Amino acid sequence: MSPDDADGANDEPVDDGTVDTDAYSDVWVFVEEHDGDVMTVSWELLAEARGLADDLGEDLVALVIGEDVDDVAGEAIERGADRALVADDPVFEPYRADPYGEQFRALVEERRPAIVLIGGTHTGRDFAGRVAVPAHAGLTADCTELGVDDDGLLEARRPAFGGNVLATIVCADHRPQMATVRPGVFAAAAPDPDRAGAVEQVDVVVDEADTVTEVRERVVGDTADITEADRIVAAGGGCNGDLSPVEALADALDADLAASRKAVDEGWVDGSRQVGQTGKTVRPDLYVAVGISGAVQHVEGMNDSDVVVAINDDPNAPIFDHADYGIVGDLFEVCPALAERVRDGEALAGSEADIEPEAQR
Amino acid sequence: MGDEPVIVVGVKQVPDDDEVRIDPDTGHLDRASAPAVMNPPDRNALEAALGLRDDAGGTVVAVTMGPPTATDVLEEAVAIGCDDAALITDRAFAGSDTWPTSLTLAAAAESLGADVFVCGEETTDSSTGQVPPGIAAHLGWAQLTYAEELDPEFDDETLVARRDVEGGHEVVAAELPVVVAVAYGEFEPRPAGLHRKLYAESEFEPIELSAEDIGLDDDEVGIDASPTEVGGMETVEPVERERVVVEGVDELADELAETEVFG
Ligand SMILES: Cc1cc2nc3c(=O)[nH]c(=O)nc-3n(C[C@H](O)[C@H](O)[C@H](O)COP(=O)(O)OP(=O)(O)OC[C@H]3O[C@@H](n4cnc5c(N)ncnc54)[C@H](O)[C@@H]3O)c2cc1C
Ligand SMILES: Cc1cc2nc3c(=O)[nH]c(=O)nc-3n(C[C@H](O)[C@H](O)[C@H](O)COP(=O)(O)OP(=O)(O)OC[C@H]3O[C@@H](n4cnc5c(N)ncnc54)[C@H](O)[C@@H]3O)c2cc1C
Repeated sequence: MSPDDADGANDEPVDDGTVDTDAYSDVWVFVEEHDGDVMTVSWELLAEARGLADDLGEDLVALVIGEDVDDVAGEAIERGADRALVADDPVFEPYRADPYGEQFRALVEERRPAIVLIGGTHTGRDFAGRVAVPAHAGLTADCTELGVDDDGLLEARRPAFGGNVLATIVCADHRPQMATVRPGVFAAAAPDPDRAGAVEQVDVVVDEADTVTEVRERVVGDTADITEADRIVAAGGGCNGDLSPVEALADALDADLAASRKAVDEGWVDGSRQVGQTGKTVRPDLYVAVGISGAVQHVEGMNDSDVVVAINDDPNAPIFDHADYGIVGDLFEVCPALAERVRDGEALAGSEADIEPEAQR
Repeated sequence: MGDEPVIVVGVKQVPDDDEVRIDPDTGHLDRASAPAVMNPPDRNALEAALGLRDDAGGTVVAVTMGPPTATDVLEEAVAIGCDDAALITDRAFAGSDTWPTSLTLAAAAESLGADVFVCGEETTDSSTGQVPPGIAAHLGWAQLTYAEELDPEFDDETLVARRDVEGGHEVVAAELPVVVAVAYGEFEPRPAGLHRKLYAESEFEPIELSAEDIGLDDDEVGIDASPTEVGGMETVEPVERERVVVEGVDELADELAETEVFG
């Protein structure tokens, strides 16, 4: 269908099966901001999409929706966008699916982007799932690789079946081609203050009176960014509410604390530190999984780590299949001992000559 | 909303992850032989729906879109406490991506007169999480995803949710009708009662609805209406790991000292 056919009466587009795909161009990145703070995944996407836009010979456009977001638009240009489209209005702060969705629908209809990329945060997935429908766009979830083929089609690759398969999803006959990407999959580029680009204010098509939701309260603290960490010690269900051994080990190793979803759901660790399919993707030099069973949804987020260590008291725990070194033992004993060994043992400071072989036994 | 709220809950049948075996020849997961179970996050959705009924009355109807064998998950939903259940099944649905899947479930919700459509966060088989916002978009309804708590203010035609967002939470009030996707792990499911279980297994028959029954043409659903297509599948070689089990922290420290991390 062509978005012009959209029949606003019941929000259901009339689908006659024909889309003039040539009428669509440019790569858009949805820049997710909350009160002026941009989610890092948006910058990661801009860096990745820069390459796609260059391959296609098209513009990279930052889509910024919010209130007082000129600075965000400016930073998006510095981080790789050729242009920014800005919908600036109080109705857009804080985020709500219905006004964002309606604004996006109108913009897509008018501007016809070929590709739209969205960060796979809770907000990003809430938004993407909503806006793809009225556009009858193809939406690929949680991609880990993006490319364009010889015909300029987006090839969105996503792991499937527990990560054993990489499925390539294409969308030949519908536009835009949309995809979400989880935080940490791509690397962000540093801002380049010499980059210039137009920032265009677009017509706001949403009226507060038409919204069907109201945000009564929003409580958001600092969110940790574990995606850049060189060393990570991750706590799992085995910690049973007592994080002190894991924290001591992280401290000794000068590592960042992360967690399985279990440890997050139990309220022991903040959700911004969750690793896995519904959390962050990390690739540190060292990943120590403590009391983590090794469910596929967890492994997916840490499998690119260089060296993986597992501490678990169950010799049959699947995590040992995904680890370079494993210790079968009680984490409440192993962690303090290892922390002490790291502090005392010169070995882990890097100089092998100073190892005192039996000293700690 | 009518006098009594109608709460529809979406449940999907998926291969049981816990039973997925590693094929010893290829080293890959063998999902085909795994038994089919209810998508685990949908258990939380069921509990959320039943909790709304506890608080505000009304009826809870489980729906699944799938082949007739998916009736199993409907029986389970009825055993846990749903008043009724509907199997949305039609050959025309084959090959649906999330666009027609959410259209089909949206049409079913309308046919059943739903005021609230409760879903799981995402499935364990294709894990897109796109279906709940898709249903809301097709219907032009409000949506509340990643819901951790629900508070029905149905007298005011409103459902309030505490939503899990990056770094915190927010409390959002939505006008009915509304689609909810509950955060996986919240809403601890209640056990099935024995009496209900016997009923579900012996007497209960689900409502069966075809595309036509819910007002959809064959070309609006299934593969024809799916914008995405799977262009190819590559097997990913499992990441090579040393898989050395060491005896204690000294041996571990020695091994680690050899690695690039510390070397
Ligand atoms: C390898 C592979 C990759 C795929 N990738 C994509 C993709 O990127 N984009 C895309 O559009 N499609 C994709 N699909 C198609 C997609 O799997 C189907 O459309 C699927 O039926 C719905 O998606 P889901 O399982 O991810 O649902 P989700 O959106 O994860 O489901 C969320 C909730 O919605 C409810 N729900 C979902 N399905 C049903 C149902 N059948 N009956 C009742 N309730 C339900 C449940 O409450 C569930 O917890 C893919 C399929 C495969 C095999
Ligand atoms: C849709 C969906 C998305 C998901 N997304 C994610 C995700 O992003 N990230 C994620 O992590 N999970 C995710 N999960 C959950 C995942 O399936 C597992 O349930 C979860 O990873 C389990 O966490 P765990 O291994 O820490 O805890 P558990 O399963 O409780 O395992 C605890 C482990 O600790 C060991 N242990 C217990 N006591 C001790 C001790 N004293 N000393 C040493 N070892 C001990 C046990 O042997 C066990 O192996 C998701 C699930 C679903 C359905």
